[in-house]
Amino acid sequence: MESDSGRPLFIPVVLGTTRQGRMSAHAAKLISRELGRYPGVETELIDIAQLPLPATDAGEAIKYPPFSAAMDRADALVLVVPEYNHGCPGLLKHLLDSCLKEYIHKAVGIAGVSAGPFGGVRVIENLLPVMRELGLVTIFWDVNFSSIQKVFSSDGQLLDDSFIRRIEKFLKELLWMAKALRYGRQQISLQ
Amino acid sequence: MVNRSAVICPQCCVAMNHHSDKILYVTDLQEGAQADPALGGIIAEFHTCPKCGGAASRPA
Repeated sequence: MESDSGRPLFIPVVLGTTRQGRMSAHAAKLISRELGRYPGVETELIDIAQLPLPATDAGEAIKYPPFSAAMDRADALVLVVPEYNHGCPGLLKHLLDSCLKEYIHKAVGIAGVSAGPFGGVRVIENLLPVMRELGLVTIFWDVNFSSIQKVFSSDGQLLDDSFIRRIEKFLKELLWMAKALRYGRQQISLQ
Repeated sequence: MVNRSAVICPQCCVAMNHHSDKILYVTDLQEGAQADPALGGIIAEFHTCPKCGGAASRPA
């Protein structure tokens, strides 16, 4: 069978909120920066605030070609998601629902963000069945940015170095899963 | 099992790997008639090119 073992893994980081003053942006930039350190990995920060998200329809009817192309190319993705009322931002769900075939058998890791002590654990748990239905494969490491205002200064300076190690664990698992699933998608037949 | 021809990658001109079948639950009434009554939705096949990694889908 043909192979593309030399092609770098592409793992975009999706900043999943449009809220003004969002501290999640600092978390997304940090994860994107750490991901960019791995050889053989390409990444891109996708800010949902920069995407046109019409509210006049939903699902694949509002597919935005550049986002679809990024998901098509992706081997895995990272979602950086603040917890709003125990759930995820509605616009993130609206965007994720605009694709399907692009996600099948690809890995996803989720970083939760909260101002309170739980680091987005509830939004991560809420997203798991959604990820499953979209055909994505979740990893068992998360990053929980609790009390985000203590993790980053207002200008995005990291104040708690322990997050570097947490992100490393999370990304190593994500990279393993991304490689395994790429092999599976390309080489292992359902039949 | 019906033997169908492989999906060919439009970029690389090689046979794509059929790695998944997924049920798509019907969300609008027009699709309802196409749904498999036993499975409750429409089955789609998902294929990936072994060379470039591109994805494709078609109804099963």
